[in-house]
Amino acid sequence: MTDTEIFDKVKEILVDQFDLEENEVSLTTDLTNDIDADSLDLFEVLNRVEDDFDIKLAVAEDIKTTQDLVDKVKAQLAA
Amino acid sequence: MAVIVNNPLFKKLGMKYPIVEGGMTWAGTGALAAAISEAGGLGFIGTGYWHGEDVRREIKRVKSLTDKPFGVNVMLLSRHIREVFDVIIEEGVAVVATGAGDPSPFLAELHAAGIIVMPVVPSVSLAQMMEKKGVDAVIAEGMESGGHIGMLTTMTLVPQVVDAVNIPVIAAGGIGDGRGVAAAFMLGAAGAQMGTRFLTATESEIHPNFKAKIIKAKDIDTIVTGNILGNRARVLKNKMAKNFVKNEVNELQKEKPDAAAMEKLESGTLRRAVQEGDKDGGAFMAGQISGLIKDEKPAADILSDIWTQATDLMGIDNTTL
Ligand SMILES: Cc1cc2nc3c(=O)[nH]c(=O)nc-3n(C[C@H](O)[C@H](O)[C@H](O)COP(=O)(O)O)c2cc1C
Repeated sequence: MTDTEIFDKVKEILVDQFDLEENEVSLTTDLTNDIDADSLDLFEVLNRVEDDFDIKLAVAEDIKTTQDLVDKVKAQLAA
Repeated sequence: MAVIVNNPLFKKLGMKYPIVEGGMTWAGTGALAAAISEAGGLGFIGTGYWHGEDVRREIKRVKSLTDKPFGVNVMLLSRHIREVFDVIIEEGVAVVATGAGDPSPFLAELHAAGIIVMPVVPSVSLAQMMEKKGVDAVIAEGMESGGHIGMLTTMTLVPQVVDAVNIPVIAAGGIGDGRGVAAAFMLGAAGAQMGTRFLTATESEIHPNFKAKIIKAKDIDTIVTGNILGNRARVLKNKMAKNFVKNEVNELQKEKPDAAAMEKLESGTLRRAVQEGDKDGGAFMAGQISGLIKDEKPAADILSDIWTQATDLMGIDNTTL
């Protein structure tokens, strides 16, 4: 999977989860500060990322931005 | 529809009642855990930020009082978590419950040691993630609870978690009598966890001031601290709790809220409530069900009274598991 494909899929999850417009999500989007995700929202996102990419993430992962999410997915897909 | 109370998990533990003691830092001592397990529930030692040797001391205390299985509740954020798990494995504890955090890094070794693992979950997605990691059950805890809490109520959280996972769900938060336990089963739970109700058990070693405060409490006598700065905790109202909430608002109005300073204000206050009964300065963690609790009685009576009432209401035999 290319970075762009991963990003597109992650974006799709974020758009759906937080009712955003596509153009509101970029790689630098800060999940906590830009889209007001609280810790329970983040679990929801991680849960869906796990299912959609068929990977496992640690719950405690330090994820701040869309880029962080994409990186985690990339690392897990490569593992 | 038949109500199923003999799930394999509780059967394996030889429990007589599908009722679990919620792990309680400082308050959940070996003596209380032993009394609950001995009577046929599942007792838990609360460990908070203890060192391994403190945990071992309480485990040994339980073992000196009962041969029945019991559990240890661990705080995954503790700096001593590694040594705590070492002690738990060495001592052959039956069950581990985890509060805030992700137990999955420790799951393989706990399972290899034959230990049942059940995390507390505040939401459906966390319950699903935990199921995927392979935990044995989840404790769905509503915000009626005493101690650190999430956002959902027990009434709303439990059935949604039950629908989302295929492992046993234990309902926690706001359960204090047989009606509450029966309600938990109606919501699809396999068992009920209680914290506050057991605080006034005869064997509970909390300060008499703390017990008196629970028995005197009315429905509206708890307050949630940490709403603004995070780490929400439900406590009985007193000077410390009200000041905390007030300071929290002031802190937030500052340009740079000092969460660390607020945390410092909070740390140690639960111990002061439990061990010293410090009426003004202690954090008397207790749930909204405090208003229903009017007496101190042996853990065995609490369990049998509650189960008699619950089975009566559910129209099932008062048989044991
Ligand atoms: C004094 C006190 C301390 C607690 N400490 C912990 C803890 O260390 N870890 C944890 O997972 N839950 C803790 N809890 C939550 C309980 O395990 C339990 O889930 C809760 O009390 C259930 O709600 P109830 O109080 O309405 O029965 C604590 C609760 C109380 C009242």
